[in-house]
Amino acid sequence: MPKRGTQPLEGELLQGTLDMLILQTLLLGPAHGHTIAYAIERRSDDVLQVEHGSLYPALHRLEARGWISSFWGTSENNRKARYYRLTKFGRSQLTAQTGRWDQLVRAINRILQPVSE
Amino acid sequence: MKWLRFFRCTREDEEVSREIAAYIEIETDQNIARGMNPEEARFAALRKLGSTRRIREEVHQMNSLGFLETLWQDLKYAVRMLRKAPGFTAVAVLTLALGIGANTAIFSIVNAVFLRSLPFPHANRIFVVRRAGNQFGGASISMPIYLAWQRDASMFEHLGLIRWRLDASLAGTGASEHIHSALVSSEFLPAVGVQAAIGRNFRTDEDRPGAERVVIISDDLWRNRFGGDPNIVGREITLEGEGYTIVGILPRGLEIPIPAIRGAQILFPLQIPATSQDPSNSGMLAIGLLKQGASPAQAAAALTPALAQLRAQFPSMFMVNEKAELTPLRELLRDWAGRAPLLLFGAAGLVLLIACANVANLSLARSTTRQREIAIRVAIGAGRRRIARQLLTESILLALLGGLLGVLAGYTTFHLVLGLIPADADMPHVGAYQIDGTVLGFSLVLSLATGILFGFAPAIGASRVDLNAALQETGPRAGSGHRARLRQALAISEIAISVVLLIGAALALESFASLVHVQPGFDASSVMTAEFSLPSKQYDTPEKPIAFIDEGIRRLAALPSAESAAMIDTLPLREGSDDLFSIEGRPENPKEVLGAEIREVSPGLFHTLRIPLVRGRGFSDADTANSPPVLIINQTMARAYWPNGDALGQHIWVGKPMGPKYTEPSAREIVGIVSDFHETSLSQPAWPTMFRPASQSERAGWGYFLVRSERPGAISAAAVRGALLKLEPANPPTEIGSMEQAVTASLVDWRFRAILLSIFGGLALFIATIGVYGVISYSVAQRSHEIGIRMALGAERRDVLGLVLGVGARLTLVGVALGICGTLALTRLMSGLLYGIKEVQSAMLYGVKATDPVTFTATSLLLLAVALLASYVPARRAMRVDPMVALRYE
Repeated sequence: MPKRGTQPLEGELLQGTLDMLILQTLLLGPAHGHTIAYAIERRSDDVLQVEHGSLYPALHRLEARGWISSFWGTSENNRKARYYRLTKFGRSQLTAQTGRWDQLVRAINRILQPVSE
Repeated sequence: MKWLRFFRCTREDEEVSREIAAYIEIETDQNIARGMNPEEARFAALRKLGSTRRIREEVHQMNSLGFLETLWQDLKYAVRMLRKAPGFTAVAVLTLALGIGANTAIFSIVNAVFLRSLPFPHANRIFVVRRAGNQFGGASISMPIYLAWQRDASMFEHLGLIRWRLDASLAGTGASEHIHSALVSSEFLPAVGVQAAIGRNFRTDEDRPGAERVVIISDDLWRNRFGGDPNIVGREITLEGEGYTIVGILPRGLEIPIPAIRGAQILFPLQIPATSQDPSNSGMLAIGLLKQGASPAQAAAALTPALAQLRAQFPSMFMVNEKAELTPLRELLRDWAGRAPLLLFGAAGLVLLIACANVANLSLARSTTRQREIAIRVAIGAGRRRIARQLLTESILLALLGGLLGVLAGYTTFHLVLGLIPADADMPHVGAYQIDGTVLGFSLVLSLATGILFGFAPAIGASRVDLNAALQETGPRAGSGHRARLRQALAISEIAISVVLLIGAALALESFASLVHVQPGFDASSVMTAEFSLPSKQYDTPEKPIAFIDEGIRRLAALPSAESAAMIDTLPLREGSDDLFSIEGRPENPKEVLGAEIREVSPGLFHTLRIPLVRGRGFSDADTANSPPVLIINQTMARAYWPNGDALGQHIWVGKPMGPKYTEPSAREIVGIVSDFHETSLSQPAWPTMFRPASQSERAGWGYFLVRSERPGAISAAAVRGALLKLEPANPPTEIGSMEQAVTASLVDWRFRAILLSIFGGLALFIATIGVYGVISYSVAQRSHEIGIRMALGAERRDVLGLVLGVGARLTLVGVALGICGTLALTRLMSGLLYGIKEVQSAMLYGVKATDPVTFTATSLLLLAVALLASYVPARRAMRVDPMVALRYE
């Protein structure tokens, strides 16, 4: 039986980051899961590799929280796909998260700088 | 929202599958575009995504409530397990149903009396205004007080006045009907916030003397008597021989929980004169609606000076330090209800506790036999917490089933319990008891708590199962000594609590029995009674009712096989009126005002009720309105007021302390002393009482005829009715019964308590017996191996019987000892801490002490006998143990 709640801190951090990246991607407009994954990879110059398997749980989690909403639409290749769209609430969450992320990055940088000097 | 999703989980899962399929198709398309062949492209896409099943599960778990899911699983499993053990389930559910049902029924009473809000808006601002510090007038008030308070009632929005009233006779086609009625001032209904549903409340000018005659009737009367006629308002009806106009109909289902007017079908305006010189308290109650923000203490302080002023006017009617006092209506109702509901609630709680112990016991026994099943579940990976939770779910399910059955049973037996509540008992709200949301909520919480309570021990015990031992051992003998001890402790506590309940029931029964055997001081056998009430309109002179009474007595005495007939204004053993008096030639002492019960009687009363005359003479037909006024007193009065002298021949002024207007025109001579009898209640000693000839009294328009027959039952109620109906066809006698019925009816409170406590005691005994039986059976089953060895070694069947019965006897003795200690502690606690010892004992016990050794011994023996009987059945099974089989069993 897999034990829950014992994931390494790295995973937690990544998970939160993935949420933020999804929201950021959806800021440009509605997209389906496949597009979101590739968009994140491309925009990070392939530095960030989205694990496609963990994308869908993340999308459903965000939807359950009401940050994004979904609808069934047609893909570029005329296939049925589930599209996600940022909600108003999600938009404000993104702002808050980005702010917190910036703070975190600045704080980490402040700690790291003296060491690199 | 989440709940909905829980039930929608299959559809959700389909959605996720479709979404994943869409991803794979898109990715495959792109891979093909990158130059892969279709099969390779699809495979790469699948690989990129990873396990689709894992994704679906992850999404699913995220979206559903894991707790609920587990609960659902547990419930399904629990239902399966309970169905597999129908015997256990039936006994457990039944036991719990008894406990929870009893509690539901009693709680509905407690709820009505103590918890449920009064049916009035602003109920928290409704206060009963009384006088405190007057031992004679008690707490009720007189008209001068009300008038003075009305003047000083600036802190009240409304200050109403109500008064108890006799039944009113409502004329219709044929004989008139007697209908319960009450008097209320015009401010009463506004004070309690009641507005007539049809028509209007009384106007302020309608409670003045000489105002037009109007009445407000209840919804019941309107529907049943007037067929719900929508145009009833304004119609004239004939009450007491006079025409009254109906001005309003009370709201449907309105129950005014104030004893004086509870159940009244007709409200008359209580006439408030402009001034009053009548300082007597005639059962009036002032009820006020305090203004928003006014404090009761301030209001009371504003009303107190009026009492001091009145004292100057009526010195003997008011005490020096009398104060006005505001009591919340709710609190007053609680006081009226007394402790009986709480006592019964406590008893019902104990029954439930026994039921819990019993089901815990059964569950423990079962969990022992289920050890292998549990061990297997643990072995294949179930956590111990999960097992405990599973067992607890089973317990709670059992308790809920028991609760459901209990509420259903409670609902059906509910009216039975209500039927036991005497209609004129001290409990207010009778008829307003009902199973409402609060009661159902209580039962639900009770069931849940019960399930947790009795499920806890087995759940913890079972989850601690020793895997190796349980899986290796065969059969049910894997139980540990620890668990056997726990089961014995449970059985012991069942017995102990039963002892407490049985002693309580026995004491209540003994009290009732001793009251039944109390000699009332008169002979009730062969005496019929008939109540009469004459309309004052037709009987407008003092002579007319006297003539009616004389004629009624004559007709009753003329009935075949009648021996004698008489009249009295209040039947013995019912509350009557009292009066103040002073003794001629003895200086009045303002600190000690003399008072006694007063009864108006016809000359034949003492003979008809066989009350012996001790000294002097009885009344005779020669005592008329024109002859010298006379009085007969009882022995208690003679002893109380003439401790050293002779009462006979003394003259007393009835009503003199109340002022000249209430003083009789001349002093009465005490011409006779009769033997004491119980005037107000069998449980109370005789009070000082004076008897006045009805022929020498001004108000004799109502009372009771008594007729004694030569043999019991020789005169029927119909004969009495027939004789009186001919005399006054428009006003037939209201209540015809036997004097013995009246004696029985006076004990109705005691009977109610005795019956309910006996029911609880019986339930406790029954459940505890099951408990003892269970423990002994279990121990026999567990020891069958040992018994087999003993028998193989030469033990006689008698020895085996003794062995098993010994276990039962030991358990019972320990339980009984604990129970007796508990009872003694409880009596001490009840009498010492909670209430005044004398108050409780005189209200609940009669003729028996709370620590009566005979009761204690008898109860203990009863329990011991029943427990031995319960052990005997498994003991016989033990005797039949075949040593060979028992030994081979290994």
